[in-house]
Amino acid sequence: MYGGGTRALSDVSFEVARGEFLIIIGLSGSGKSTLLRCINRLIEPTSGRVVVAGHDVTAASPRQLREIRRKIGMIFQQFNLVRRASVLTNVLTGRLGYLPPAWALANYFPAALVDRAMANLERVGIPEKAFVRGDALSGGQQQRVGIARALMQEPELILADEPVASLDPATSHSVLRYVEELNKRDGITVLCCLHFLSLARRYGTRILALKAGQIVFDGHPNDINDARFAEIYGEDAIEVEIR
Amino acid sequence: MAVEEISRPRRAGRARPALWYQSWRVYLAVFVALLAYAYGWRVTQIHLGELWRGAYLIRPFIAALASPDVVAREQQLQRGTAYFYYGGERPAAAPGGGPRLTLSRVTGAIGDRVTAAGEGFAPNRRGVLWWENQVGQRQQLGSFTTDAQGRFSLAFTAPEVQGTHNMVIAEVLIGEGPLRPSQTLLVVLDRMVETVFLALMGTTMGVVFAVPLSFLGAKNLTASLPAGGVVYGVTRTFFNLMRSIEALVLAIIFTVWVGLGPFAGVLALGVHSIASLGKLYSEAIESIDAGPIEAVTATGASALQVVRYAVVPQIVPQFIAFTIYRWDINVRFSTVIGFVGGGGIGFVLQQYINLLQWRQAATALWMIALVVAALDYTSAVVRERII
Repeated sequence: MYGGGTRALSDVSFEVARGEFLIIIGLSGSGKSTLLRCINRLIEPTSGRVVVAGHDVTAASPRQLREIRRKIGMIFQQFNLVRRASVLTNVLTGRLGYLPPAWALANYFPAALVDRAMANLERVGIPEKAFVRGDALSGGQQQRVGIARALMQEPELILADEPVASLDPATSHSVLRYVEELNKRDGITVLCCLHFLSLARRYGTRILALKAGQIVFDGHPNDINDARFAEIYGEDAIEVEIR
Repeated sequence: MAVEEISRPRRAGRARPALWYQSWRVYLAVFVALLAYAYGWRVTQIHLGELWRGAYLIRPFIAALASPDVVAREQQLQRGTAYFYYGGERPAAAPGGGPRLTLSRVTGAIGDRVTAAGEGFAPNRRGVLWWENQVGQRQQLGSFTTDAQGRFSLAFTAPEVQGTHNMVIAEVLIGEGPLRPSQTLLVVLDRMVETVFLALMGTTMGVVFAVPLSFLGAKNLTASLPAGGVVYGVTRTFFNLMRSIEALVLAIIFTVWVGLGPFAGVLALGVHSIASLGKLYSEAIESIDAGPIEAVTATGASALQVVRYAVVPQIVPQFIAFTIYRWDINVRFSTVIGFVGGGGIGFVLQQYINLLQWRQAATALWMIALVVAALDYTSAVVRERII
């Protein structure tokens, strides 16, 4: 699927139903991030097909690709906010795919969008930070801005690339609860990479395990027992729990 | 015990490293260095004695640095004139009015003794007697002091000059006006303003072209374009080639192209700035965090929107800092670009030096030092604020 000497993923094939909260687990380097980035083509897969809501992502023209991306929100391990821009501007960038590019030159956003950005910030609990610079926030707050940014897209699918790997346990839960709420209340499908099995069991409706670029487990969270765990993470691994 | 065990290996086996003076390589290196410097000394014709022997030539300049031509007083003079012709022709009467100057003879030959007598001047003042030849060149014949009745008398020898129609002038200083900026200061100020604006226009030209070009010279942005590698290579090659040509050389080329004057200087500084700033800007773009680019791209934004919202906010402070730094360099450089006819203060400085007008040259030098230091300081303060 992915060239350049090393094969990050091979023979990975799965389907996700609308409304699922799919968690992808696996060791570092097992291909989790690559898998997510192939779905919105931030990484070009060398072969294979990705279909999102009936649209063939892999065959899309640049314009079609942008239209597909509008419906796919993404949140990142490093939050990826524009550090020198205000929180509000960061949230508004989520809507860029719907706006004429020329408006960017004047830094213009319609008032209705600004209102919606404020509403989304309120939803993630930090409306008072709207005019603070992105890098002035704590990690958990930055990730919540990331979620608000994804919400601006009115996405059908959210890709979360280890959204809590840079956060402490308490903040991890609060961030994941926001994601869970989007999944349960708005019916947004979620594909989320996680490191901790305990978090995966707590939030996921289905778990996909990758090892060296291949799927080694696909099933319900509770079906991962010690034997399965050793298979995914190697014989020497010990499960670390996060509550 | 433990200490001994640590120190033992050194005493025991391994060969001790040779001392530096025991290595033939050291002697070879010293020998090669001596050869190089001996040749360098000869080829650059270093004669330290010249520093001492030529000191008298530069002494007036050193003295002038302490007394630059900055202010002047307007001098009020009383003037009396009389004609003196070589050959037989008798001159007409000198223009009347004011003090009178009469000569003991009005025609004669080189070397004749003549007595000049004046009356009607201010009493008890010092004055100077001048000889002015046919083309208006003056030389001093002597000085005098008027008596209580405003008269004086002075004998002189008719000097050897070209031309036949000469004039003798007596000038008495009767008063001085208030201090005011000297002519030199006005000229130097005028040229300094031109210099600063030359740097401004050159820097602006550099920024206007370097900003768009720098996006094409950044590997992380061109990678996603079709034929991006070629665009990147061409842009970077252009930057490197242009940077390797000194602005002074460019100035010479542009004076041939658009003629002498500040416009040639603006073009030379501008082209050099495009290359230098372009390279700095490109490297600033390459060093930005890729995360926001990825995030904004993932929302379905177009290339223009990605640049505007993910790239520009990250590079603005560095761009401003680099621009101020370049403006700094350009101000300093525009002071010498006049040496090759590119306008600015260098042009008059070179003239003053060539004419051995040391006090005027000192004025220009002080002006450069003060303005450049002041701009240096301000830009350092501004840069510190931004970063």
